[in-house]
Amino acid sequence: MQLIARGILSENPIFRLALSMCPAVGISTTVMNGLMLGIAVLFVQVFSSVTISIFKNVIHPRIRIPTYTLTIATWVTVIDLVLAAYLPEAYAKMGIFVKLIVAFAIITMRLEMFACKEGVKDSFWDGLGMGLGFMIGMMVIGLFRELLGSGAIFGYDVLGFKPLLFFILPSAGFFVVGLMMAFFNWIEIFYKRSKGLK
Amino acid sequence: MTLAKTRYIVLASLFFLLAPIFARAEGLIAGQSFKGNNEIVVTFSGPVDRTAAEEIKNYTVYEEPDPDIRLVLKSATLAEDGKHLILHFVEPLNTAIPHAVTIKGLAGIEKTTFKVSKSYLGYLFGILISALLINNFVFTKYLGLCVFFGTSKKKDTAKGMGVVFTLVMVASALMSWFFYNFILIPFNLNFLQIVIFIGLVSLTVQAVDTVLRKVNPILFNSFGVYLVLVIANCVIIAVPLILANSNYNVFETFMLALGAGGGFLLALYLMSSVSERMQLANIPPTFKGLPIAFIVAGQFAMAFLGFSGLQLF
Amino acid sequence: MKNIITIVFRLTVSCLLAATVMGVCFIFTSNAKKHNEHVKEQQVMYALLGYEAGAEIPTTLAMHEVYRYIIGSSDRQSIGYLVPREHEGGFLFVNIDLNGSLLETKPVSLSEAEALEVEPRTKAVQAAVGPGHSVMFADQTIVVTNNGRRTGYLLSGKFQGFKTFVKVMLAVDPAFSIIGMEVLEHEEDPGLGAEIEQDYFKNQFKGKPFEALKAIAVVKAPIPDDYLAALNGKVGEEDIEKFREEYKDHDIYALTGATISSRAVANGVKGIVTKFAYRVNVLDEVLKEQQLAVSF
Repeated sequence: MQLIARGILSENPIFRLALSMCPAVGISTTVMNGLMLGIAVLFVQVFSSVTISIFKNVIHPRIRIPTYTLTIATWVTVIDLVLAAYLPEAYAKMGIFVKLIVAFAIITMRLEMFACKEGVKDSFWDGLGMGLGFMIGMMVIGLFRELLGSGAIFGYDVLGFKPLLFFILPSAGFFVVGLMMAFFNWIEIFYKRSKGLK
Repeated sequence: MTLAKTRYIVLASLFFLLAPIFARAEGLIAGQSFKGNNEIVVTFSGPVDRTAAEEIKNYTVYEEPDPDIRLVLKSATLAEDGKHLILHFVEPLNTAIPHAVTIKGLAGIEKTTFKVSKSYLGYLFGILISALLINNFVFTKYLGLCVFFGTSKKKDTAKGMGVVFTLVMVASALMSWFFYNFILIPFNLNFLQIVIFIGLVSLTVQAVDTVLRKVNPILFNSFGVYLVLVIANCVIIAVPLILANSNYNVFETFMLALGAGGGFLLALYLMSSVSERMQLANIPPTFKGLPIAFIVAGQFAMAFLGFSGLQLF
Repeated sequence: MKNIITIVFRLTVSCLLAATVMGVCFIFTSNAKKHNEHVKEQQVMYALLGYEAGAEIPTTLAMHEVYRYIIGSSDRQSIGYLVPREHEGGFLFVNIDLNGSLLETKPVSLSEAEALEVEPRTKAVQAAVGPGHSVMFADQTIVVTNNGRRTGYLLSGKFQGFKTFVKVMLAVDPAFSIIGMEVLEHEEDPGLGAEIEQDYFKNQFKGKPFEALKAIAVVKAPIPDDYLAALNGKVGEEDIEKFREEYKDHDIYALTGATISSRAVANGVKGIVTKFAYRVNVLDEVLKEQQLAVSF
C-alpha cells in the first residue's frame, strides 16, 4: 500500500521525477486521452515489472538493458494491438504515443531500480503505484486543459462556452506542466519550511 | 571520419539527388510547369506552328489518377517567339496531383505526351522543412522532451547532443526503412514493428559508439557521452514509426530523418541560448529549474505554431 | 567464451518468447479489429443515408458494390467496372474506353464476400482483362436501392486538407444532391481545422443540389444564429427542412480560423461528386445500350 502512495505522491513520475513528459505535454488535451494513455502505461508497467521480477534470476546481468527493452517492447505491442482492435477511436486520438511508451525512461528505470531486486508481489504494487501516478498526473493535466480550453470534461459540456482555446493547443501543455511543477515545488518548500522551523 | 570527408559525402549525395533534373527528356518539350491557379506553361525546344498550337481541340489534359475526366481548356496562347505556350483552364487546377498533357499534330509529330507536376526535389525539400520547422519534433510534436530538458543547459552540450542525434537518427532511419520494406511487409510481420525498430536503434547507437571510438577518438570524447542518452529518447523511435505509417521511400526517409535531427538540434540550441540567460535572471524559487524551462519551451512552441501551414514547394 | 554463448542463448530464447506472445496477441486481435471496422463502416453508411443508429433499416434496402479499376495496356488506358449482376450472382466486368464507348464485357465469378477482399478481387479482374494489361484499383462506390429502385449512392474520397489528407464519405441521391457527409479521417488542428467534424459544418452540405455544388464557394462570414441552431439540430424537423430549402443555393460558411480547411473540404466534395456524376452517366449509358442485367 505504501508503495502505491509513493508512486502517486512523493515519487510521481511526471511532476517529481520529471520523466516521460512527452505525452504529458502532447496529448493531455482531454481527460479521456489522459485516462486511456494512463491505462496503457499502467498495463505496460505492471506487466513488465512482474515479468522481470519473475525472471530476475535468469537474466544475465550483462544483457539487462536489452532484456528490459525487449520485455517492454513486447507488452507495448500487445497493448497497442488490443487498443487498436477494441477501442479504435480512442486509439486514433493517441496517435503514435502508445507505441512510444517503449521509449519511456520511467519504465526502464523502474525495472532497473526495483523489479530486478524485489519479489513478484512487491514489484506488482510498485508498478501499480507508478502507473497510477502517471495516470492521475495525466488526468489532472487533462482536466485543466479540457476545462479551460473547451469548457467540457470527458466530453460533457460543463461550461457551455470555450474560455481559452489556447489550452487545447499543444503548446499550452508546456505551460500547464510547468505551472504544476512549480506548484508541487511550492508545496515542497512550504512543507520543508514548516518542518524546518521545528 | 574527418569533417572534409563528411562534406564530400554530403555533396555527393546532393548531386545524386539533383541528377534527375539534368537528365530531362529531350524532344519537342523543353520544360513545363504549373503557373498560378489554373494555368500550365509549356516551353518548346523550337518555335512551333501557331495555328496548331492555339487550337484547343488538339489538347487532351487530365489528372493522372483520373484519365477519363478531361479538363476543359479555356484558351491556349502562344507567345511572340513561338516557344512559350500558356494553357488557360476553366476550373482551378489541383496542382498537388500530376497532370498528363497530350498534344496532337504539333511539329509533324502525331502525339506528344508529357507530365506536369510539382518538382520532386521540391517535394523532398518540403519534407525536410516540414520536419525541421513546421512539424518540429520538439516544439510541435512534443517528443524527445525527457532528454531535451536535461541537455539544454549550455550551448556546447546542445550542439553536441544535436549532432550525435542527427547522425544516429539518419542511420537508424535508413536501416529501419530497409527492414520495414524488405522484411516486415513481405512477411506480414507488421506487429513486430516496435521491437524491431528499437532493436535497430540500439544497434545503431552501439555501432556509432564503436566506430567513433576507433576512428576519431577526439570527436568521441566530446560527443560520445551523449550517445547513451539517445536511446532513452522518444524521437529516435518516432522517426521509424512515422516512416512506417506514411510509407515513405528511401529519399523521403533520409529527408525526414535529417529534418528531425536538424529540428532537434535547432530546438536544443534555442533552449540552451535562453537557458544561459535565465541563469542570470531573477527567478522565484518555486519556478527555478524545470518549471521555468517548461514555460519557456511553451513560448517557443507558440512561436513555432506560426510555421504551421507553411507551403514552400 | 561460455559467457557469450550463455548470453546469446538467453537472448535468443527471450526473443522467441516475446515473438510468440506478440504473435498470439496479433492473431486474436486482428479478427476483432476487422470485425469492429466493418461494423463501424456499416454504421457510418446507414447514418449517412438518414438512418440514425438504432433506427429500423427497411428490409427492402440493398447495397450494391461497384468497383472501378484503371486498366492500362501498352498504348492506352481504359476504365474497368466490376458491377454486380442481377440474376446469376457474381459480377460483370465492363471495360469502357476513355471516350465512353464499350470495349468488352465478361462475366466474373466472384462472390460478394470474396469481392470485399482486395486480393481475390484483383486476381479476378486481372484474369478477366487478360495478360499484358496492368490493373490498378481506383475506387469503390455503393449503389443503394430500395425495392429495386435506386435511392442513392455512397462515395468515398480523399483530398488534400490544410495539413495532410482529409478522407470523407458522402451520400448522394440519384440527382446527385448531397444527402449526407461524414469526415472519416483528418489530421487538422484541434479546435480549428478539426471543427470540420462538427455538425454545424457538415450539415451545411446536406441538401445541396448538384448545380449549387458545381459552383460552390466558401464565404468568410459568421453563420446566422437561426441557421446555426438548425444545423446543430436544436429546432424541430420542419424548421430544419425550411432552413435547408432556404440555404441550399448559398455558399458554405467557413469555420472561424480555418478558412483553408473549409475550402479544401468544399472543393474536395465538389470534385468527388462531379467526377462521380460524369462516370456514372457514362456507365449507365453503356449498361443501357448493351442491355446488361445488373442488380441496380
